[in-house]
Amino acid sequence: MKKRYIIQYAFISLSLIYLNGCTMLGVQPWERDLISKESMSLSVDDLDASLDDHIYFSKEGTSGGRGFSAGGCGCN
Amino acid sequence: MQLAKFKNINALLATATCSLFSNTVLATPLMNASDNSDIHNDNSWKIDTALMYYAETDRVSALEGIIAAKKDFGEEHILSGKLVFDTLTGASASGAVPQKTPQTYTRPSGKAQYRTPSNTTPLDDTFRDTRLQFNVQWSQPISEQDKISTGIQLSREYDYQSIAVNGGYTRELNQKNTAIFTGLSFAFDTLAPEGGRPVPLSAMVVDNTEGISGDNNISFKDAFEATRQQGGENTRNTVDLMFGVTQVINRRWIMQLNYGYSQVDGYLTDPFKVVSVVNDQGDALNQLHENRPSERTKHNIYWQNKAHFDEAVFDLSYRYSFDDWKISSHAIESKLRWPLTSSTYIQPSIRYYQQDAAEFYTPFITDDQPIPEYASADYRIGKLTTMTFGAKYLQELENNHSWGVRMEYYIQTPKNAGFEAVGQLQDLELYEEVKAFVVQFNYSF
Amino acid sequence: MHYTFKQLNKGSFYCIQFQAMASLCEVLVETQNAELVYKIGCLAEAEAKRIEAKFSRYTNNNVCYAINNAQGKPLAIDTETASLLHFAAQCYEMSDGMFDVTSGILRRAWTFDGSNRLATQAQISTLLPLVGWQQVTLTDHTLQMPTGMEIDFGGIGKEYAVNCVAQICTQQAPDISILINFGGDIQVTQARKNKQAWQIGIEDPTFKADAKIKANAASKPLKTELAIKQINIQQGGLATSGDARRYLLHNHIRYSHILNPKTGWPITNAPHSITVATAHCIQAGCLATMALLQGEHAEAFLDAQKVKYWSYH
Repeated sequence: MKKRYIIQYAFISLSLIYLNGCTMLGVQPWERDLISKESMSLSVDDLDASLDDHIYFSKEGTSGGRGFSAGGCGCN
Repeated sequence: MQLAKFKNINALLATATCSLFSNTVLATPLMNASDNSDIHNDNSWKIDTALMYYAETDRVSALEGIIAAKKDFGEEHILSGKLVFDTLTGASASGAVPQKTPQTYTRPSGKAQYRTPSNTTPLDDTFRDTRLQFNVQWSQPISEQDKISTGIQLSREYDYQSIAVNGGYTRELNQKNTAIFTGLSFAFDTLAPEGGRPVPLSAMVVDNTEGISGDNNISFKDAFEATRQQGGENTRNTVDLMFGVTQVINRRWIMQLNYGYSQVDGYLTDPFKVVSVVNDQGDALNQLHENRPSERTKHNIYWQNKAHFDEAVFDLSYRYSFDDWKISSHAIESKLRWPLTSSTYIQPSIRYYQQDAAEFYTPFITDDQPIPEYASADYRIGKLTTMTFGAKYLQELENNHSWGVRMEYYIQTPKNAGFEAVGQLQDLELYEEVKAFVVQFNYSF
Repeated sequence: MHYTFKQLNKGSFYCIQFQAMASLCEVLVETQNAELVYKIGCLAEAEAKRIEAKFSRYTNNNVCYAINNAQGKPLAIDTETASLLHFAAQCYEMSDGMFDVTSGILRRAWTFDGSNRLATQAQISTLLPLVGWQQVTLTDHTLQMPTGMEIDFGGIGKEYAVNCVAQICTQQAPDISILINFGGDIQVTQARKNKQAWQIGIEDPTFKADAKIKANAASKPLKTELAIKQINIQQGGLATSGDARRYLLHNHIRYSHILNPKTGWPITNAPHSITVATAHCIQAGCLATMALLQGEHAEAFLDAQKVKYWSYH
């Protein structure tokens, strides 16, 4: 009897952690002041990145990650 | 005296104002997003340009220019396009081992020779290419949370051309704190290298008679032609699949995790690279044209973080790649965007990259072993470590334009992947460092 | 939505900013409640852009375009448009025909670029028959005016938007002091908690393209070197009318961009700029414009209105 209670309790607290985990990730719409800044955009230095990627693509054995790595260049 | 000239109409005006607001405003809709779509201010083209100069010590130098244009036609219907131009000249390692005596090699075109002095990494100095690339991309929402995108890319250079198409789908979840992305891309490349594609692992023909040009050299021509493929594969097809998750962690931290799968089929050999066959004294007996498998399956895991401190923004990314050529690599890159004033910033950056050699990589082949099915001495698929140190300065101008300058120093350090040097090779530098300097200008308007 | 917002003055209020009606629009909200600020930001920007889209004369798919291209036929108009035009009609009567929303057509003859190019009497004479509110027939649901005449909401549109947004803010946050500032046209919904005033700096209009007013509640002096006057406002409306750089200079006479709808000629000897404080922004705006229309008697007119004002010559 007691054991079942403990299991139930453990289950409830686990789901509470899970729920908390969900709400802990992310921000409310009115907290997006920093996230929505241009400097926080994941693609802010796109041009620099594409130039770097071209160098690395032609000089290293592996490439890609940021986006599609597909060819377009005979340099490798 | 003049006061009398004017009536006090303020009370009347106040009454008129009150009646104006008593019967209208509440009847009008408070929010009507579709009404605003045509009056956004940001509906002009946004143009980013960059010009980059890349120079290796004694080797390749390249000039690359990009013009990128982007326009929001309202409600996130975005058209973007990019034009890339680059030109490359200089020398590149052929794959042959250095020797204590000067060596003569045939250029890939078969029309001339080049000499490498003693104790020097053999460099083929005929690299000269110009590339023009154009791509256009369209993205638009299809519902409140869903967005699709599609694009095409064309690339053309002297001996290579490529066409690629892509499509992607993004869904935003959890109050836009999470976005999941899935995308697919197909690329179809065709290559036509000068001098043709060598027969795999055939030996480089070197004409030792004087004056190799002209018709008096028919036997060399025939021998050279015999090392060239007549038919066979001259295309390279790539399928890329990508899955990504972008997650806002908190007010200051956003991250992205991507998985990329890439399947490449076709001619993957570098037609300009050779592998030296050496005897037990380390003397190069001949040079074999390299051969790589005609398939490669690659996996990428990419993790990017951006964190906003009080002023500065820190960017940290890590990539792990592995493939069925048994090349695996780690790349770690970090950048710190440090505002100097409200309109300027500097951004130092550092990148570390390390890869293991492909299973068919070999710096040379000894003549006492059978010739393997696949072999390449290209240091770029050997064991390799690279470092990049960079810094960028950017200034925003009053008219919403901005200019920037960026410099990078790139060091490639090839490593011995466990091959024991024989004979004279023990005294020679088989893994020479390559250093490059990059300078780049940006202008956006 | 394209607005941004940030906390200012040690968190005592939030400042929402967006662009609309060719102006920087600010909404200052005395609260710590970011969720409320977010909501107000959405509503304020949407309302400003709704009004801009509806009454702007720079598009061809709104009510303003329909009115000006009705070719003399009666046109059905919505309640809001009818109310705004009724208000304009009252202003016309109160000002003895000086405040006239049909006078904008005279701009075809006049270019106010600081030069000395006056319009010719011939040009003006061809336009004058197309000016005059008395030619307009307005009912609660229809409007009819002769072909070729034009109505321009420019003189009251921004002030009207300020008051509409203020009304929405009051509905959303009845107990909070909110300052709405659309390019210098201002409304404060109610007094701040500790009876502190919002402080407004007025820039010297002779140096700036338009009389620009910056709202700022910080107690320190304004950063702009051009701020020449600081006004404290606790509640009510504030509006500015002026000619700044939009004038002509001919034989040492300064012709303001405010046109006399009866003669077709610019008002002369008017102050460069007049700022009026009254209960409502739109009311202040009309008084400021009517004052400028009195030329050198602007101050006398305002004295008779028993309102607080600031004028710059």
